[in-house]
This record gives sequence, structure tokens and C-alpha cells, in this order.
Amino acid sequence: MRAIPLALLILLALLLAPLGLSRYATEILTQGFILALFASAFNLVFHALGLLSFGHAAFFGAGAYTAALLAARAGWPYLATLPLAVLASATLALVLGFFSVRTSRIYFTMLTLAFAQLVWAVVHKWYGFTGGDNGITGLEVGVLADPRWLYYLALSLLGVGLGLLWLVERAPLGYALRATRDNEARAEAIGLSPFWLRLTGFVLSGAIAGAAGFLQAAWQRSAFPDFLYWTKSAEAIIAAILGGSGHLLGPGLGALAFIELGAFVQARTEYWPMVLGLVLLFLVLFLPRGLAGLLGGRGARG
Amino acid sequence: MLEVREVTKSFGGFRALSSVSLQVEPGRFHALVGPNGAGKTTLFNVVVGRLKPDRGTVYFRGQPISGLPTPRIVRLGIGIAFQRAQAFLSMTPLENVALAVLSLRRGTGGFRALLSDRVAVERARALLSWVGLTGAADRPAGELPLGDLKRLDIAMALAGDPALLLLDEPLAGLSRAERRQMVTFIEKLLRRLGLTLLFTEHDTDAVLRLADRITVLHQGEVLAEGEPEEVKRDARVVEAFLGGGDA
Repeated sequence: MRAIPLALLILLALLLAPLGLSRYATEILTQGFILALFASAFNLVFHALGLLSFGHAAFFGAGAYTAALLAARAGWPYLATLPLAVLASATLALVLGFFSVRTSRIYFTMLTLAFAQLVWAVVHKWYGFTGGDNGITGLEVGVLADPRWLYYLALSLLGVGLGLLWLVERAPLGYALRATRDNEARAEAIGLSPFWLRLTGFVLSGAIAGAAGFLQAAWQRSAFPDFLYWTKSAEAIIAAILGGSGHLLGPGLGALAFIELGAFVQARTEYWPMVLGLVLLFLVLFLPRGLAGLLGGRGARG
Repeated sequence: MLEVREVTKSFGGFRALSSVSLQVEPGRFHALVGPNGAGKTTLFNVVVGRLKPDRGTVYFRGQPISGLPTPRIVRLGIGIAFQRAQAFLSMTPLENVALAVLSLRRGTGGFRALLSDRVAVERARALLSWVGLTGAADRPAGELPLGDLKRLDIAMALAGDPALLLLDEPLAGLSRAERRQMVTFIEKLLRRLGLTLLFTEHDTDAVLRLADRITVLHQGEVLAEGEPEEVKRDARVVEAFLGGGDA
């Protein structure tokens, strides 16, 4: 119960932070929230379904490009593109998931990677529509041009995303998703259909990843093919491992640590990848449950 | 209740079942016995929809079910418990059974937390108490000993109030004392519930005690079928078992 006042204190600090922080620090925190949302979405597939997706960049990118294209080419107010950005990512997840979730383990990982790289290649080359490797730049993002507004929007969407994942985790659906991971034969024998459950989880995860992509395009006022590249998927994986995939807040914590530590180290040395490597090594060896393991509380979450 | 009609199943060139037929009458405890490799598990898998027969059909209450996916079959009123006890090990027994109850009764939709669904939780606690797991209801299922996991498996198989229960070697892996307990448990519980049972088992004493009717499989064919006393005296059965290893 001591955790509740502490959580309120952290929430208050997060709400007040932009008022006291520099523009740069606010932007870096915002970037942390965006990756936190993306990594939390990824973790629904990674932890609850037990499937390692190497293709989540595709859904992140679909959200970003849908928002950017609607704003730049069709003149939509940027904020109004959010529902369609989420819908586009969910639809892409439905199509890719329909083929991917039939497979398991390494086959699933390779198939999602291949699909996402395919989407990346199309976006990267299709100059007439997506701007190819030049991306879509100079987006008009309205009030989101103010880093504080973007900060609050990112924080709110992260809150909504985590709230939704929390509801799912406790709901019968969350148990059913984990049931397909724990024991497929048993899941079928209590009337659950693993394929449809996996597809549902995959689409939900893709939709939330799309909201993160929408934020990313606002943050950079641009959309680039990089958003869909496999290294973007790897960031979600690193964040989930860093923070601990067994806890609802783990991937978010990992993402914040990844972004903030990265900004801090990169300002001082050029050896960020090496530092990251050492940190990951340390965590895997000594804190297998990630940063969230330090929170204690719920041990073996389902 | 359940009818298997001339089911044939081959793997490559190996004929695991050749034209096997059997009928399970309502309220009866029907045992499926035979040496290893006789086709018991193959037949079990055909009935539960994990394998599709090459020829022949399985009927449940007159309706053909072979070829249907497992989730559809269990929803018709068939409970399944496995040889190697299967459970969702990241959850507690209460969560395991409550999920099974919800899944089979109204589906897994909605955002209300599983454990705040009073009807499902109460039903799950009742099932756990039937199988004698009340004390372990809230421990992680991964920590349960095998005997308890088997009981949990059976509790989940009963979650949808099935008319027919399929048990694949309910005694496999248990100690002598646990076996006796399990036999008593199955007898008391299932008779009280008025269930029909189809089970496979190696333990001859348990089979003779539980079964009303026995089908003997040997090399994928039905060697004999009848009341326990008839089957026990059947010369072909005796020969098959003496020649074919463990019973």
C-alpha cells in the first residue's frame, strides 16, 4: 500500500516536469514516452503470447505515415489523424498477423521480420507516394509544435495505452492469451481458439504501436522509412528486456532508461552502443527480471 | 453417447488404427486398453479432434464430429483430461479453472477482471473443492506436484459440465498410493455427476475396478470388447498381453 503515495508523487512530478525542464529535456522525455508506448504494445505479443515479433516497426511506421500523409497531402489537422493512424496500423497488423500467428518461435520471428522489411522497402522506394528515402518532412502539427503540448499528449496516450493493457491483462481475454502461450493443447481443450486469440492480441498490439508512430511523426515533424526499419523493432525488444517483460510497467521503464541514458551518454562519448551492450549484459546476468524486478511486488506475473 | 465407426488412420505406411468401431453407452465407464502402440492414444486424438481419420467417422449424440477442431468438439459437451497433466502453469489453479468456466460458458469477452466475476470464481472454487484442491487454489500451478496437476486437469475438463469425459491414462506417473486415491476419486465423483467416461489406462486393477465395459485394442484393431469379466477370460486377450508386454 506504500506504493500508492509513491505512484501519485511520480505522476505529479511527470505532470509538472515540463514547467521546470529545458526544451531539450522535455523533448527527450517525450521521446522516452513514445518508445515506452511502442515497447509496451510490443510486449503484449512478446510476453502474453510468448511470441517474439521482429516486425513491430511496420505498425509503428504505418501509424506515422498515415498521420504524415493525411496531414501533408490531404491537409488534415494533425491531431485529427490519430484515429485513422491507429486504424491503419491495426489493419496492417490484421493482414500480417493472419499469416504470421500460425507459425511459432523462430518462424514467427523471421516471418514478421520479412513482412516488416517488405513494407519498409515499399515505403523506401515509392517516391511518388511516400517520398521514398526523403520521407515526408516539414509537417504542420498545430499545437503539437509546442514541446509541452506534445509532452502532455504523449504522456496521456502512454497512460491510455498502459490502462488498456492493464485492463486486458486482468480480463478473461488476457488470461486466454497467456493460456495459448502456456499450453496450446489445454487452451483448445477448454474451447479457446489459439489462432483467433493470437490474432486479436497481435492486432491490439499493432494498433497501440500505431499510436506511438503517430506521436513520433509529430515529434520529428516528419516521417522517415527508418521508422519501419528492423532496428526500430529491435528498440522495442531492448526496452522490454531492459525493463523486464514480466511487469506491465517494465517495457516502459526500459524505454525511458534506454532513451534518457542514451541521450546522457551520447552527449559525452561516441561509445553509446558499447555502453548499452554492457548495461544489457549486466541486466541479463544480474537482474533477469529487468528494471521492473527492482519494483518487487508481483513476482511471477502470468 | 459416443460412437466410433470404422475409423482408420495411417501414419506414412504404418496403420495405427484399422477400421476401429466402438460405442460408449450413456452413463457407462468405458475403458480402452491395449499394449503400447496398440492405437489407444491415436484413437483418443481422433476423438478429440487433434487427428483427422483417413476413413470412418466419430459421432457424438448422433452428430458427426470427426474433422471438427478441438475447441468446437469440447463446446458440444466433451471434457478432456490429458495423459501428461496439462495446465496453465503461470496461473493459479483458481485462475486456470475460472478461465475454463468462462470460456466454456459465455466466452472470454468483456473487460471485467476474471477474478471479479463472482459466478465464474464460485463455480471454479466448487470444482476445485470436488477434486480436493481447495487448499492449493491460490498457489502458482507451476509449484503443484503431479498428482495435484492431474486433479486440476480433471477440474478443467469438468468446467463446462460435459456429458462425456475423456481421460487419457489418469493414473500414469502416479505413485501406488496416489493411484488408489485417484481411482476412488474418479469412481465417486463421476458416478455422482452421472457422467459417461471413456478412458485409457495401463493399470489392469484400476481398469477392472472402474470399467463397465472394456475395448481391447491390439495393433490398431479391436481385439475384444465386452464386460470386464468376459474380457478377462478371453484367450486372445490373455495371449496378446502376455506376448505384448505390459497391460
